[in-house]
Amino acid sequence: MNFIENKQLRWLRDNLFSSVGSAVISLITLYMLAGMYRGTVGFILSPMRKWTAVTYNMQLYMIFNYAEGDSWRAWASVGVALFLIGVTLGYWNSGEKSSFKSISNGLFKVFTTLTLLVLIAPRETEVMNNDGSRSMVEVISSSQRISFLIPVAVLALFSFVLTRMNIEMSFNRTKTIIFYLGFLVLSGWIIKVPTVTFDASGNRILPDVYLPVATTTTIPWTILYGVLWVSLFIGLFLQKKGLKPLKRIIPITWVILPLYLFSWLYKKPLIELDKVFTNDVPGVLIFWAIGFLIIRYITNEKFMQYRNYLTSGFLLVTASILFLRIPFLFKVLTFSVVLLLLVAPAIANTDEGKRNLLLIWIVAIAVIAFLLRGSGSPTGIVTPTGSFLGGFSLTWVLAIFGTYVSFPFGVMLALGRTSNLPLVRVICTGIIEIVRSVPYITWLFFASVMLTVFMPEGVEFNLIVRVLIVTAFFSGAYFAENIRGGLQSIPKGQYEAANAIGMNPFQRISLIVLPQALRAIIPTLVSSIITAFKDSSLVAIIGLFDTLRIGSAVIPTQSSPVNFVGTQLDNLLFIALFYWVFCFIFSRRTMKIEKKLGLGER
Amino acid sequence: MTKDTSMTKDTGKTIIKTKDVKKWFGDFQALDGISMEIEEKEVVVICGPSGSGKSTFIRCINRLEQHQEGDIVVDGIELTNDLKNIDAIRSEVGMVFQSFNLFPHLTVMQNITLAPIWVRKKTRTDSEKKAMELLERVGIPEQAEKFPGQLSGGQQQRVAIARALAMEPKIMLFDEPTSALDPEMIKEVLDVMKELAESGMTMIVVTHEMGFAQEVADRIIFFDEGKLVEQNNPHDFFNNPKSDRTKLFLSQIL
Repeated sequence: MNFIENKQLRWLRDNLFSSVGSAVISLITLYMLAGMYRGTVGFILSPMRKWTAVTYNMQLYMIFNYAEGDSWRAWASVGVALFLIGVTLGYWNSGEKSSFKSISNGLFKVFTTLTLLVLIAPRETEVMNNDGSRSMVEVISSSQRISFLIPVAVLALFSFVLTRMNIEMSFNRTKTIIFYLGFLVLSGWIIKVPTVTFDASGNRILPDVYLPVATTTTIPWTILYGVLWVSLFIGLFLQKKGLKPLKRIIPITWVILPLYLFSWLYKKPLIELDKVFTNDVPGVLIFWAIGFLIIRYITNEKFMQYRNYLTSGFLLVTASILFLRIPFLFKVLTFSVVLLLLVAPAIANTDEGKRNLLLIWIVAIAVIAFLLRGSGSPTGIVTPTGSFLGGFSLTWVLAIFGTYVSFPFGVMLALGRTSNLPLVRVICTGIIEIVRSVPYITWLFFASVMLTVFMPEGVEFNLIVRVLIVTAFFSGAYFAENIRGGLQSIPKGQYEAANAIGMNPFQRISLIVLPQALRAIIPTLVSSIITAFKDSSLVAIIGLFDTLRIGSAVIPTQSSPVNFVGTQLDNLLFIALFYWVFCFIFSRRTMKIEKKLGLGER
Repeated sequence: MTKDTSMTKDTGKTIIKTKDVKKWFGDFQALDGISMEIEEKEVVVICGPSGSGKSTFIRCINRLEQHQEGDIVVDGIELTNDLKNIDAIRSEVGMVFQSFNLFPHLTVMQNITLAPIWVRKKTRTDSEKKAMELLERVGIPEQAEKFPGQLSGGQQQRVAIARALAMEPKIMLFDEPTSALDPEMIKEVLDVMKELAESGMTMIVVTHEMGFAQEVADRIIFFDEGKLVEQNNPHDFFNNPKSDRTKLFLSQIL
């Protein structure tokens, strides 16, 4: 027995077989676990399962009925997100290393476990026949078992040899993880899956043929995998260069990205060029000129005297044209001038400040004009059911976007509720209490039926956008209460110390209080986010097609071109796996972050 | 209470002036008509039994507590509800707390440079250079990258002093700086304070360390029940106390 490391043997003795009682309990538990494993494998491999219901409908699961010609938008948005992930991982790479020893130990553990699992996998499983009787069917033949066993056993032995070698090598941890992901992508090229195929006359060929995964799936994923590597190296390169501004640019990009991707999936604006030239271009030019004049002369003594009149004048103009039938762009830009007049004296007091402000103004006006034109134009993405997303993409959009919007909203509500100003406190408490006291499903019905009634005439949002609005309020209220708990955990001394060194309230909150409060509630925040992720499946009630509804209601009723009636079990198992994998990865990652942040705590 | 200027060292202009300051916590009167003047570069030690209002008084000076009656003028700025005045006074006055109140989520270096960067709008390089000087001055330059939780109490309090000094204050307030420390760590903090006093900083120290008071203070003030009972130079205060309350207090702690 001396070929197994003594350490592991000792661990077994100390933890599982320390006394007769615990040995008995351990054995019973192990027997039960093995039984559960064998049952699950038998269920999965049973000939009654129709996994083609999942594989055949993968596109439905991913993007539902998003216009096929525009599906590159979905791929590209994943690509952009992966690119940013790669750059971030590279730029903030801690340089943490995995030693050769720990990698080979990990591999050894994985492959020995796999060997064990193949060994104890069930030979046959129980199936129900048409007449209701039950019989046993072989699921893994001896030759199949051996053909699995040999490679994993060889790999286990090989990795065992690796653990015995004294190689002083270490690899960047991030690179190691991405390298492992490569096996997933590679398996897409190698593994053959049962595929639904039709003969020339359109009849399904049975039994299903084992074919490699379609190139329409593997090629994009391979490209995305390449993007991840390239962006990682870009990030590492930028880290080496030590470009300071990136420290701000990357987080800002993360904030903007979901908005950008959402709008990208939401709309392919069919922009009418004549409107651009008669409306947008003159508008932008006029307001560029106005902004330039204001910034140029704001510090002029004579001008300063009239600044207040000018500000009120523009405010009046904004109010008076609000209900006129003029392009929305002009209303927004007039109001922007009011804002400019308010902030300009503080920023444009030096030549550099003037230059920066002018630059911001020029970019902002152009962006506003572009966004308004885009949102005002009809979309080129036509989907049959009206909801432009479904399946995984809808689940992801609801989860990510819901969190992105509701989290800052929750922070504001929490700060408002703890504010000293009575009016702010009452309003925030009111919002929280009203939103929390009504079930989420009721809010979803509110979104689908009532919200349009409250909108001004002519303003209409897609159902998904309306759902996002109520989700922002709903999970925002829950976030707010969590965050308030965190705020209360900050000792009074921290506020006093911040006051004593002369910080203003905003600095006190953003630099001292919130960082500590949020850290204190990371576990609750994580479970809130996981809850929001899973609760997104409730949107099925108001007619959206989320992952769960597709799996439980849509696919099991498909009868043509392929008959998948009655495949709920297969689909639901797949969906459960989907939710579990992402929630598990998420909670593991945040546990790591928690550990890192915990460093140096009291 | 009449003020006897002959007892204090003659250093010129008055930097803190309070007149008839009163404060209540609910029904309880914490300060009952405190009037005093503190001159530049003077080191004043305030002592007295617990609950006598000494901490409350120095916390009123930088508006951590709000006084309800009377005037407080710091460096020519009157302490009113005007936020501008409060900010101006706070940037003149550094404070060290009994429980250190370092920011646990920031390193020692970040603790010290936070205020210079965000409040004084200095560049990071300048403030870090200054912070290193201060850490050397308080004797712990090697701890710059550690978190407060990894330091001993005495080291934490010295970081707190460095953090207050980073704002380049004219006045330093010490609110029982050694009360939460182990006896062997008290000395290292008192040494730093001594050095600070010798460098000519105006200091108001609430403390029970009578050895420190005797050695460093220019004037000792005795508080009881929210009133300023007695003030004198250290020699006369310890050897020749005037009021019976002071005598009783001294007999209990010495």
